[in-house]
Amino acid sequence: MGRCSAMAVAAARMALADAGLKQGELPRRRTVVVIGTTMGEAEILGELERDWIVRGPGAVRRAHIPRYGSTLLPIHVARATGAQGMVLALPAACAAGNYAIGFAADLIRSGRADVAITGAAELIQELQFSGFVRLAAMAPEKCQPFDLNRQGLLLGEGAGLLIVESEAHALKRGARPQAEIGGYGLSCDAYHITRPRPDASGSIRAMRDAIRRSGLSTGDIDFVNAHGTGTKQNDAAEAKVVREVFGTRRIPISSMKSMLGHCMGAASALEAIGCVFTLETGLYPPTIGYETRDPECDVEVVANVARTGKADIVVNNSLAFGGYNAVSVLARPGVLPPPQPAEVH
Amino acid sequence: MRELAVTGVGVASTAGVGLPAFIEAIQSGARPPFRDVRSDTFDGSKYPLAGIAEVRGFDPTKYLGNKGLRSLDRLTKLLIVATRLALHDSGLKKDGAWAASSPDRVGIVVSNAYGSLEAITELDRVATLEDARYINPSRFPLTVSNTAAGYASIWEDLRAVNVSVSDGNCGALDALECASVFLAQSRADALLVGGAEAMSEALVLAFDRLGALANGARLGEGAALIAIEKPEMAGSRAANILAMVAGYGTAFVPPEREGSLVHATPDAVEQAIAYALADAAMEARDIEVVISGACGLQAFDQAELTGILRTLGEGACVVAPKLALGETLGAGGAMGILAAIALMGAHAGGTAGGPTVAADLVLRGALRAAPRTALVTSLGYYGNASALVMRAPSR
Repeated sequence: MGRCSAMAVAAARMALADAGLKQGELPRRRTVVVIGTTMGEAEILGELERDWIVRGPGAVRRAHIPRYGSTLLPIHVARATGAQGMVLALPAACAAGNYAIGFAADLIRSGRADVAITGAAELIQELQFSGFVRLAAMAPEKCQPFDLNRQGLLLGEGAGLLIVESEAHALKRGARPQAEIGGYGLSCDAYHITRPRPDASGSIRAMRDAIRRSGLSTGDIDFVNAHGTGTKQNDAAEAKVVREVFGTRRIPISSMKSMLGHCMGAASALEAIGCVFTLETGLYPPTIGYETRDPECDVEVVANVARTGKADIVVNNSLAFGGYNAVSVLARPGVLPPPQPAEVH
Repeated sequence: MRELAVTGVGVASTAGVGLPAFIEAIQSGARPPFRDVRSDTFDGSKYPLAGIAEVRGFDPTKYLGNKGLRSLDRLTKLLIVATRLALHDSGLKKDGAWAASSPDRVGIVVSNAYGSLEAITELDRVATLEDARYINPSRFPLTVSNTAAGYASIWEDLRAVNVSVSDGNCGALDALECASVFLAQSRADALLVGGAEAMSEALVLAFDRLGALANGARLGEGAALIAIEKPEMAGSRAANILAMVAGYGTAFVPPEREGSLVHATPDAVEQAIAYALADAAMEARDIEVVISGACGLQAFDQAELTGILRTLGEGACVVAPKLALGETLGAGGAMGILAAIALMGAHAGGTAGGPTVAADLVLRGALRAAPRTALVTSLGYYGNASALVMRAPSR
């Protein structure tokens, strides 16, 4: 398998071990695998293309061809874990983790599955790296989300997977839930392929929707994990969203990307794991490299040093190419109100 | 799955743009010419053994005008055209303006298997032969798999959910499952759902190298979308209901050998159909026609047919529209859904009561006129299969 699938499989195995689920204990046909990504097996494609471009069509290795395709991420995870339900890849660029985790939770809530192995995976490859450089989105040295002098993002890579179960399934096997998934919100800017809508209306709608669908109001939220890429436009737009949604309340907000780098499709899945850690420990992760307040980013940044605080319910925000906005709510077990039937608009 | 109403279609297939050309293709059963490539994307004559067919006479300016097309790739243009057609066919838009619902409440869920290989190859060529520092930044976003769906939203102002699905040949049927979940959760009033896949030299090279296009299979391309909504929404706006989506099932069955990757399994097809029937609360005998994904790839066609016959019995009628339309991968299941709609005859373009598919495309059994139920099946290359139950609207 390619490197991206390998990272996803490794993360899936760690997640199953962490959940205390042994091979053979999964309800195979009731277990789905939903994985987000931007480019999936980009490295395999890069190799195939290089062989073709440099040495001609005859140099393209036949056995290598079927190893390319985003669909292979969930396929390999399913093979490694024994899952036999839906295998689905959701390419949603830098919001893919939230897409996958949210949709996996939907499948469980609607009775389609009992267990989901879900999250996202992404690797760094030259094409993406140069693409971000050419878009002038990269920081020369350090990533400083929400800082006045921020100069852009730094790329990272990885895979973050979670085991999501129905409450009944978790109770039956005596599992200790680490967190509960609340609602999530999805919207599309329909404005520009890479830039957020200046009025941030799509992003605001997605965040409000995630909170409302969790049966909560903004006052219930303790912490916001920002998308916080460190680019001028993203952070300004995101600060506007947080001010619009939370009003005068100075809710703590932080960007793990200052430490993890921007892991593209995997970002919001890795950060969901960080959010679970926050719920378990009450520690808000810091935004490192924060030096100078930016009046355009007038939000309560957890600057440079982790902070302890109430951490019952957190919001995980993400935005992506294509005008995608995806926001999820994660909570300490037992604090969310019981799910409500979907509202009719 | 709660039943959903199909209220419109939009299609660009190898038969041409629009449903009439699509219906004509499956009624005549004419296979696409072995080589039907006229676009400027690449020189098809370099692959003399590969059967390939492009969307005949595709001229996006006819549907989208001249402005803003230059930065788009073929995949995106195919998808935007299908999106615009489906929005108008469903009556959600009229003459380019919203006639029902609103931008915040309409979204798109679209399957695509391989992304924009056209754009990726273009940038890889520059990076490999010149320097990665010279790649065109305005083309870079096209290399991201969900960009086509993102552009469709920009062009048509769709601000509800925008989701790309990648699940190989099963993706378009899986997109229907995603859409049904989103509609059940009231994330939209209406969704455009289906798939898109574009011809590119990289795709042809890959399938050619695997020897998949030499023995009857044709690599096609296209975009096919249906507009779906809850029946009460369709009813309240007096929309024309073309068909109902009644049930979905999917299954993954890994190969027994650890080292195998590509895997044609009848077992996954069998399970997916059983789940889809249960989901639709139907029995095997209720299915009047099966729209299979058979395209001329022998091992996969055989596995799919075996799975179908095991579940539905030897007397099942199985058709294969891909023999006329080509294999369209991520769009394939959506082409199958359109074939089901055409066969069930509720669309103005259909010919209710008459023979609606060429005998050449019937793999098994006898096709009855104007079937009332249809099962659409897709088999992936790695051991997964999906199935969708559809029925004609109530008279």
